[in-house]
Amino acid sequence: MNGFLWESGHLGWGIFALAVFTGLWWLLADLVWRFKKVQFAWLMAGLAAGWVIGAGLIVLAFWLGKL
Amino acid sequence: MILLIVQIVILCFLAACIVLWAFYFPYPSPLVRAWLPPRKRWPEAQVRDWLRSGRFQRAFLRHFYSDPERTPPPGDALVAPADGLVLSADERGGVRYLVIALSFWDMHVQRSPLAGKVVSVEAQGDTFMDYEGFEFAFLKEKVCPVQKRLVLATGAGQLAVRLITSLAARRIETWVAEGERVERGQRIGRILLGSTVVLELPATARLLVHKGERVWAGETPVAEGLVPT
Repeated sequence: MNGFLWESGHLGWGIFALAVFTGLWWLLADLVWRFKKVQFAWLMAGLAAGWVIGAGLIVLAFWLGKL
Repeated sequence: MILLIVQIVILCFLAACIVLWAFYFPYPSPLVRAWLPPRKRWPEAQVRDWLRSGRFQRAFLRHFYSDPERTPPPGDALVAPADGLVLSADERGGVRYLVIALSFWDMHVQRSPLAGKVVSVEAQGDTFMDYEGFEFAFLKEKVCPVQKRLVLATGAGQLAVRLITSLAARRIETWVAEGERVERGQRIGRILLGSTVVLELPATARLLVHKGERVWAGETPVAEGLVPT
């Protein structure tokens, strides 16, 4: 995968960033749910949209870095 | 190799956070619990479960028994006798009853609204569950099994602070005795768990708080305009 998954002796920075971002995003969503009175459907939609944007930026940054 | 170890450590830490989150859900994970305000830390359903089982989390009890210092504001306005929400401020027979409802998360120490002398400390015990409880405290649909009424003689007339427990706790501590002098904002007692506090003051007093407002014992001015006697 051109260094996305694995890179000379360690996990690829792409998959590593994606895993960390996903975990932190999930925990952050939990905090938002506790602090804000927000409808569950809206929270899930926001969570999914934010994850897609974040993951997209990570992938984009990875490929741009490879150029 | 070092990079791989660092990456694995970070991922394991994150995984542990998520496992803790999943294990405790819907209650907050112990990793964030201390950073959340009390109401978010211990949901009401959890506290009610503890009440039923009689087993409380130690951190909750530490929070519950907390007794922070309070500084009364300058002036001679009456300060709130308890933390909580103003439930009502009805007037009957020349007396205004300012009813303050405490929640599980409020500090449960009560304070004297004005400086004065304790005239009496009346206790109404375990069997006190009749209609009168609703009537004088205006606590619609709330049973008041145990009450203590502290009557204070102040420079602006006689006041009373009524401490009421709920069915859950039935325990009230009073820390002042008849004949003792108390200062404005001084600690006068504590209700364990339950709770409503009623301040009885002359109807001529001008209220500074309204129904639904949040007040803090010994700090929030709740009434003024009492005529010195």
